[in-house]
Amino acid sequence: MRDFILKQVASIILPFVCIYGFYVILHGAVSPGGSFAGGIIVGLSFIAFSTVYGIEKCRAKLPEKALVWTESFGTLWYGIMGMAGIIKGAPFLANKLAGIDVGVPGKLISGGLISFIGIGVGIRVASTIITLFFTMMEEEL
Amino acid sequence: MMTVITDNLPVFVVIAPLFVAFILPTFARRLRLVEGLVIIANTLWIAGAAYLASIVLSQNGIPITYALGGWQAPWGIELKAGSLGALFILIIAGVSLMVSFFARNNLTEEVGSYERVARFYVLILLLGGALAGMAVTNDLFNVYVLVEIATLSCCGMVSARKHARAAEAAFTYLILATLGSILVMGGIGFIYIITGHLNMAFASQELGRVWQNSPHVVWMAFSFFLVGFGVKAAVFPLHVWLPDAHSTAPAPASAILSGLAVKGYLICLLKILYNVFGQTLMQQYAVQRILVIVGTLTIMAGSILALTQDELKRRLAFSTVAQVGYIFFGFSLINTKGLSGALFYLVSHAVIKSTLFLAAGAMISATGEGKISGLAGIGRKMPITVAAFTVASLGLIGIPLFSGFIGKWYLLLGSMEAGSVIPAVVIIAGSVLCAAYLLPVIRVAYFEPTPEVDVKDPGLSQKVALIVLAAAVVILGILPGPFMELANMAATELLVLK
Repeated sequence: MRDFILKQVASIILPFVCIYGFYVILHGAVSPGGSFAGGIIVGLSFIAFSTVYGIEKCRAKLPEKALVWTESFGTLWYGIMGMAGIIKGAPFLANKLAGIDVGVPGKLISGGLISFIGIGVGIRVASTIITLFFTMMEEEL
Repeated sequence: MMTVITDNLPVFVVIAPLFVAFILPTFARRLRLVEGLVIIANTLWIAGAAYLASIVLSQNGIPITYALGGWQAPWGIELKAGSLGALFILIIAGVSLMVSFFARNNLTEEVGSYERVARFYVLILLLGGALAGMAVTNDLFNVYVLVEIATLSCCGMVSARKHARAAEAAFTYLILATLGSILVMGGIGFIYIITGHLNMAFASQELGRVWQNSPHVVWMAFSFFLVGFGVKAAVFPLHVWLPDAHSTAPAPASAILSGLAVKGYLICLLKILYNVFGQTLMQQYAVQRILVIVGTLTIMAGSILALTQDELKRRLAFSTVAQVGYIFFGFSLINTKGLSGALFYLVSHAVIKSTLFLAAGAMISATGEGKISGLAGIGRKMPITVAAFTVASLGLIGIPLFSGFIGKWYLLLGSMEAGSVIPAVVIIAGSVLCAAYLLPVIRVAYFEPTPEVDVKDPGLSQKVALIVLAAAVVILGILPGPFMELANMAATELLVLK
């Protein structure tokens, strides 16, 4: 019970940190930040969780397999989204040319393909940063 | 369907290996599946590369330009798959396919657990994708990104073995290669500051207009590029990382690092020198002379240092330094013969050096002995491996009918045409030295008495890889046809910009 205050504060703050990370990812097309910065914030919330509650608890929430899959498919997602252009007969990574609605500038849904790519990149960055942290913590020296 | 593939070929040959690289980690526990996927991916890749090469050949070398995302240059990123790109991608895909054949069932011993092996394959494919990107990209910043991807995957491959020496070599490589990346980045920055373009064609157009206003910036850009790519391609005074890195890596990694990775940086340098700066600026700033001096020094120093090495893989690594010298020297010859000779030499060295490293890896893992003297009489126990090693050695020395000869011959013709005699002498001296450091290995392997030890013969897929690569050395030497034609077209295209 020594870290009572820390644990209580973390349990209140961390969900919001995580949600803020997703907010930054989703607003990547319209505001400063973006999927990389947002992904780091999401990853940070998990890293903070594991420093407060112990790495085993975080491992239980995020099994290794989930990390490997999100890491691989987050990047693959970028490529798959790029293929959308090719399927529509436009070049690789085409956005408006591929007939995707790019919306009104300044609104949340306004990047076309960029928002979708951003989600993949954000998740990938988050899982990479978590994997890096886990690897460093569990490395035998 | 076919038109979709044809239209998007320049981007497909780059992203195909990357796609497979990203899904591999999820199957890490099933090694057979991973290896099968890698081989399938490489086969598709080589098919795509061959198709691209045939299109370029049928168009007489007119490049296919491709605007990513539909954004035309100078705003968007442009890919330009010409004869240079087609030639290089074809050789990357071919060597990667053979290396992945060789690595089948063979990596757990050197690399470790299944997960580590899967990650190793990821690195090989990432490196392949990055090198293919370097071959086709026409955008300076894209070059930097691809150089970084290639460098980091090389570092991972060097440290793949669980060995203190491997970690040390990888760390040295990481530091020096990062220094090189920073310099390349700086060079790109200088070009961008004075021209305002990142697209190579537009940058060179603008550079031709404005270089006289800021001659020192151009000078800085030149030197940054030369030193930056020089560190990465390991030319003589900057080669210190290469012998450690290439000799401590697992055999398939050494083959790819020595055969392909170094070449990617050379291709980038070539494109920047000839497509961005152009011949006039190169002559104006005497870059040509620097290339000659560095190239000849590298040939001599690499060969002499190789002679002093006792360990087989270190000897081969120093030999790579010497061969980079040939290519560097070829880049200085501003004529079709010299440039096409350099490009053909690049191709043949990629095949030869990967054969040598794979055969050396098979010999070393069979005997457990890294020293050349420990390979006594091995030629009778592993006939195919040592035969492949011999064929590749003869190719590297430059015996007629083997691929190295044609490259060296054109380099000689080119240097005669440029009126430089000393480099021609150095080329021949380099060949003699090459014979001096490779033939003793063959002599030890065939003619020394065999000690009574058990030797583990390599498996079937390893033998297939070695036979195909050795056959490629001979075929390139006897029928260089399409490859020489592509190299010729590439040289002509590089010389268009005055």
